[in-house]
Amino acid sequence: MAIQRALPAEGNQPDRWEAQLRKGAVEMAALASLWQGRLYGLEIIRFLESQSQLALAEGTIYPILNRLKAEGLLTSEWVEAEAGHPRKYYSLTNAGRQRLRQMAEAWVSFSGGLSRLLEPVLEPQEKTQ
Amino acid sequence: MTTETQIDNYLTALRLHLGPLTIAEREEIIREITAHIRDSAEESGASIEAVLARLGPAEELAKQYREGLLIRQASRSLSPLVLLRATLRLATKGLSGIVVFFLAIFGYLMGGGLVLTGLLKPIFPANTGVWFNGDQLVSSGTLFPAPAPPAHEILGIWYIPIALMLGSLTLLLTTFLIRRSLRISQQLQSKL
Repeated sequence: MAIQRALPAEGNQPDRWEAQLRKGAVEMAALASLWQGRLYGLEIIRFLESQSQLALAEGTIYPILNRLKAEGLLTSEWVEAEAGHPRKYYSLTNAGRQRLRQMAEAWVSFSGGLSRLLEPVLEPQEKTQ
Repeated sequence: MTTETQIDNYLTALRLHLGPLTIAEREEIIREITAHIRDSAEESGASIEAVLARLGPAEELAKQYREGLLIRQASRSLSPLVLLRATLRLATKGLSGIVVFFLAIFGYLMGGGLVLTGLLKPIFPANTGVWFNGDQLVSSGTLFPAPAPPAHEILGIWYIPIALMLGSLTLLLTTFLIRRSLRISQQLQSKL
């Protein structure tokens, strides 16, 4: 992968670098999955799998939801379901919506800048020789 | 092993490793993870082994919960150990965190030292105190050997209440400062 070659300092641990990158994005992705309305944990996991390449150990998402709730960005409610057991639904609070907008803006400008920076790196190899 | 036993074993391990959380927090987590296991098995028709494997080891899951709550809980704690651990975490997040960490260590050492010498004064009365030479401070604390004349000790028995009071005040201020910094760092985190 070209991105890994661009970071020789992490060269011997490319998987770890990618894992860190994913981890940093999960929080924002979890908030974003709730933009349209409330979901419960497993729905959030499936939504992230289908919408992005953020495949994670499924357990990872629950502690993150717990922390986002403690920070006041999410609220939760238990809802009885046909399945026979209640499910814990999460939704964004006003503070959560605001924070997500800020994160999204920061992310877009940051990744736009980085993409330009990485353009030469991703060019076909023959040119650079 | 039956399906129910497997789920029970997983939840028991999870509950065990969630130890430091409040009972209410712990039971809410257990309830949510139970729902996840049942839904996930039903949805995919996968075996309980596969569902639990995707969830990750109970110990690892509990660890992630505990780390997320460490700073928040510490901001309500009075224990120097809990507070220092949280400031250590804060120190990994940036320069102001490092400053808070060193101030915390300095404050605890200073306050603890003052209280300790206050308690040592009745045991080593000649070696504990504040020594002046003329109007110049020579030294203070519990010293072996005690500073030689012309330096003389000025507080006498008053060293005990003064050291105990100043020491406790320093410890209180340090605790207050750390909790305040932890709260601010939380607010910053949710605002940024």
